[in-house]
Amino acid sequence: MAIAKAERLMNLALCLLGTRRPLSKRELRQSIEAYVEAFGPDRSAAGSDDSFNRMFERDKDDLRELGLVIETVENLDGDVGYLARRDSNRLPPITLDAEEAAALGLAAKVWQQARLAGAASGALQKLRAAGLPEDVDPYEAHGALEPRIPVHEAAFEPLMLACRDRRAVAFEYRKANAAHPEPRTVEPWALECWRGHWYLAGWDRGRGAERVFRLSRITGRVRTRSGTFTAEVPDVVTVRETVASWAGETADRSALIRLRTGSGYPLRAKATAVRELGDGWDELEIPYGHGLDAWLVEFGPDVVVLDPAELRADVVDRLRAVAKG
Amino acid sequence: MVGKPARPANAIDQTRRMLSLVTYLRERPGARVEDVARAFGITEDELISDLDVLPLCGTSFRGGDLLDIDTDGDRIWWHNPDDVAEPLRLAADEATALLVAARAVSTLPGLREGDRQALLRATAKVEAAAGEAAGASSRLSVTFESEGGVFADVDRAISERRRLWIRYYSPARDEVTEREIDPIRLVSVGHTYVEAWCRRSEARRTFRLDRVAEIKILDEPSAPPEIELRDLSEALVQPAAEDPEVVVEVGPGGRWVAEYYPHDSADELPDGGLCITLRTPDPTSLRRLALRLGRDGRIVSPQDLADSARQAAREALAAYDGPQTAYDEPHLRRGESAGPSGAPHGVDGRRV
Repeated sequence: MAIAKAERLMNLALCLLGTRRPLSKRELRQSIEAYVEAFGPDRSAAGSDDSFNRMFERDKDDLRELGLVIETVENLDGDVGYLARRDSNRLPPITLDAEEAAALGLAAKVWQQARLAGAASGALQKLRAAGLPEDVDPYEAHGALEPRIPVHEAAFEPLMLACRDRRAVAFEYRKANAAHPEPRTVEPWALECWRGHWYLAGWDRGRGAERVFRLSRITGRVRTRSGTFTAEVPDVVTVRETVASWAGETADRSALIRLRTGSGYPLRAKATAVRELGDGWDELEIPYGHGLDAWLVEFGPDVVVLDPAELRADVVDRLRAVAKG
Repeated sequence: MVGKPARPANAIDQTRRMLSLVTYLRERPGARVEDVARAFGITEDELISDLDVLPLCGTSFRGGDLLDIDTDGDRIWWHNPDDVAEPLRLAADEATALLVAARAVSTLPGLREGDRQALLRATAKVEAAAGEAAGASSRLSVTFESEGGVFADVDRAISERRRLWIRYYSPARDEVTEREIDPIRLVSVGHTYVEAWCRRSEARRTFRLDRVAEIKILDEPSAPPEIELRDLSEALVQPAAEDPEVVVEVGPGGRWVAEYYPHDSADELPDGGLCITLRTPDPTSLRRLALRLGRDGRIVSPQDLADSARQAAREALAAYDGPQTAYDEPHLRRGESAGPSGAPHGVDGRRV
């Protein structure tokens, strides 16, 4: 049976951390059991060099993902050696009290995305190894409160990596009201989760402008593009404000409606003024932002729009579509 | 362990964990299996499988010096501790995952002030220790939504084990009802919910905090029956198999329905729309959806639901008939943005 990957990675990590001088690829190949077993002790079978090299490169990349700083050093003969210096890999001193430790324990378990959940527990484990107090069980201390960060969108992980590494991406995007997706090429700046949904802000190369995308509307695979960003990344990226305006939360006008007494609680909660008419109806002033027409129609015959005329017409229009079936 | 996301065993995560484990074990000779598993947030079986691998790992070039770590199933000993095991710096992903989560949790409006302060202090320390690795964490952010005052009351009721009285808005029926509930836990998934035993329906219910119109902490003790807590990682409410089926056909402008409502299937239609099949214990609650969709979609079945939406629209239109028909003249519709314009306020397709 092939030696498990975790064992191979662990040996490579310990070798690189343990050495005082750079180790050549050949030395590493000869001293790590998993490599010897898979590829023989030395350049033997034809083609095994290539597959060893590929595995070695992947393994180094994996260890770097785990945070290991691996240096590549060339000696006078032009041979390349590798080592992970202690001082560049050591966690700086950090002291956290029991309360702080418990709070971090709560934060570390909110991710529902495998990669980030793994990374967050990894961070906590490193801190634990460095002496993070554990008197309080981090998984039970805050029993009543269970925040969760949902990630259901397949595009999340590739976009997160692209944001981290500042790499442009290409994907198919279907706008809210579009029948078919269109290709977009985007320089990704930031991802934000709002009301349980993920959004991406970035520079849309095709449109030559900043755009916000909803991840659930990305269809198919996200592909990374080589090359550097062409547009400057702003200091502050505002995703939520853009999305909030889509959701009609940035109302700049006000509307006047009649609402049947006892119904439409959320409308009452938003109302800036309520007047009881005494005939089974109340009159409300409510903020008028994008999407209010669709919301009002939900209340059917319990709402009548009085003003403005534009909103009234939109509501009538929608009701007619439903009435026709 | 309630709600802890289940993950498949993964060589990367295991390597990461074993690297920390050796450091941890060096400092704690004879550590108990039980305690170590808890400190690392893993099961004892996972820990034992790590302990099976570690003796096969060497700390130096050219073999020799294998880690002499063993366990009798109760305590763990490392007989040749090595200084290779120093605490390792945080990787960029680790710093990002922890810091983004910590910042998000610290914005929870109802978080106890002491906990918030502790979290903010911890966040600053981790940022400092992470150094450059913390840089990319600003490219990810999460906002939890919740109603501060309601949250604080629910949180207090849970810790003091007291019953709550609430006035709760149910969008399905457009009504506010009074209930007494025994709160069990708070869950934040986008919105914040309290899972509770509802004394009115004598059943487990999930209440969204922004729909709580009024709340009071009662003197009676909370006494929810012993119920098994569910894993809420997939969805707060999964429809039951016996719930009636509803079929909705939407055009391109109504595709958001598939994003907001848990459904059994969503089949592409030739016009860019979808045919969505979902189940709900109470189909009449979807009348709102039918009204909201307008020309972007329609209920295909059940027929009485489609009829009731049509009927409601006709009744509503009656109020606009008469002298004010001037409003009926053709007009331009406002432009639609790329955003979730058609998507409803607060509708998330969840029961209660």
